Amino acid sequence: MAPGIQLRSTLSRSVLPDAAEEQLIYVLLEMSAHGVPTSTPKLPLNLCLVIDRSSSMRGERLQQVKEGANRIVDMLSEDDCLSLVTFNDRAEVVIASQRVRNKVDLKRMIGGVEAAGGTEMATGMALALQEVQRALVSRGVSRILLLTDGRTYGDEGRCVEIVRRAQGRGVGLTALGIGNEWNEDLLETMSARENSRTQYITSSNEISQIFTDEVKRMHSVFAQDMNLRAEMRPAARLRSLDRVRPFIAAVQAAEEKDLIWAANLGDWPGSDPQAFLLEVVVPPLAIGDHPLLRITLRYSLPGMNLLNQEGNVVLRIGVRQAASVNYEVDATVKHWLERLVAYRLQAGAWQDMAAGRIEDASRRLQMAGTRLFDAGDVDLAHTVQDEATRLLRSGQTSAEGRKRIKYGTRGLMGGETQEREA
Amino acid sequence: MIRCNHCNAQQMNGTIFCSECGASLIAEVPRRETTNALSRTVDGIPSVVEDGPPMVVPAPVPVAKVSGICLVVINSGRRINLESGEELLVGRKDNQRGIYPDIDLGLDGGYDAGVSRRHAIIVPNRKGYMLEDLGSSNGTFINGTRLAPQSPTLIAHGDELKFGTLILRFEIA
Repeated sequence: MAPGIQLRSTLSRSVLPDAAEEQLIYVLLEMSAHGVPTSTPKLPLNLCLVIDRSSSMRGERLQQVKEGANRIVDMLSEDDCLSLVTFNDRAEVVIASQRVRNKVDLKRMIGGVEAAGGTEMATGMALALQEVQRALVSRGVSRILLLTDGRTYGDEGRCVEIVRRAQGRGVGLTALGIGNEWNEDLLETMSARENSRTQYITSSNEISQIFTDEVKRMHSVFAQDMNLRAEMRPAARLRSLDRVRPFIAAVQAAEEKDLIWAANLGDWPGSDPQAFLLEVVVPPLAIGDHPLLRITLRYSLPGMNLLNQEGNVVLRIGVRQAASVNYEVDATVKHWLERLVAYRLQAGAWQDMAAGRIEDASRRLQMAGTRLFDAGDVDLAHTVQDEATRLLRSGQTSAEGRKRIKYGTRGLMGGETQEREA
Repeated sequence: MIRCNHCNAQQMNGTIFCSECGASLIAEVPRRETTNALSRTVDGIPSVVEDGPPMVVPAPVPVAKVSGICLVVINSGRRINLESGEELLVGRKDNQRGIYPDIDLGLDGGYDAGVSRRHAIIVPNRKGYMLEDLGSSNGTFINGTRLAPQSPTLIAHGDELKFGTLILRFEIA
């Protein structure tokens, strides 16, 4: 079989009762690599590290950052490009974009970074984009890796604008926040596009590991420019599209033409499992078997010089007399939906909170906790319910709890192992 | 359309979790006894497409010797037998706050159904049994009628009691 990406779909229910009105069906779409050699040549990496060096980074944190940066230097080769930008009240290019040839020199420059001053991210991001573009190649992976521990004030809009420009040019962002002070809304907004992710680092001794994991992930990209198209049968529609693995994130799906939705899924680091959840509205249909939608995935496998590849899957449903239809839903679909619902509930809770609707916010968090319990994520469920209680009592949540919930519900809490309560 | 038990929002048929409040719309087996009439629209097409084996709750068997009361949780069929003669708290157990109700509905999906920790009490008196709502968030209902908080109301054998959205039948053995 030719190498490529295989699509597998599971419906929440494959048989629907006949009804005179619209029905909702959930589709889990899983992707797996097929026939791709495990040792495809690494794609050249064009990486820019953007490091917050405000005074709060002094000591252990900056030490760990340097350690992590050195390990990145060790992982890269002459095919790769590296640049380093630091920012506090100002921003500067510490390592101008260059091939990783003289590792000793690069490490010396990393070692010279010192912490002082405030946090102004936008200028740092602008310089990062400039550096990463100097080495922009048609074949390869370009990324900005940002680490911050504080809030930037007044230039949030510019940060988002710059990062959108980068994403538009195929440069992804990995935004890492450490400690409890940084602005998770900003990092989330910045990374809410393809090829981008954000992660919460709870303790500075994780930095080095997360840096190297991230570079490994970038190096393992084997599919690029993944585009999903969903072609609906007449009168059906796509209500939502979300990524559920490797982490939960809404995916923007635009209705390109009548009945055709399209979404850009970006690159695929081979180490990550990929799965998506679609909510599809099914129109009233006659008893019988019907095609519901066709999903087409277009992508390239640059390591194997296979461009413009395509994979298809057609989803069919049966419609039967209502009395003979069992109302059972697929357990796997339900599991991922449960996690997605928990994520949406907590997101709604923060909006409620910002609008002053404390009770609504608390109720949503409680329900998010219930969903997480059902999904088997007991530790996170406890965290969520503790914050719901705190919110109701004091009208506030803790900064740490909020970050844990936001990142935890997306499945983005860095391989931290938590103690399990009996 | 189906209606969410928890927040009353209209949801499309086939919805697994309410898009408004996130409550599960499928966990509970259909409450045929109470929703049968509602689940039929004019043209005979059921608007609630939950379909499982019909749940038959055994009819009350009067036992003359034992004097007591019983609450039957309609959706699970669980029978809660109770000694008469005392005040009985209906609610959900909360170890941290030290709330240990006599009738713990936490086991019956009470949380999702909107049962408060201290929801209501059942008080025996000379006439029979009185049900009093303790200012619960989601209300206490007798045969569909909501009780005002803190106003004890007489209940009789066979009455349908609703705590939040959880339905129980009251039986005097």
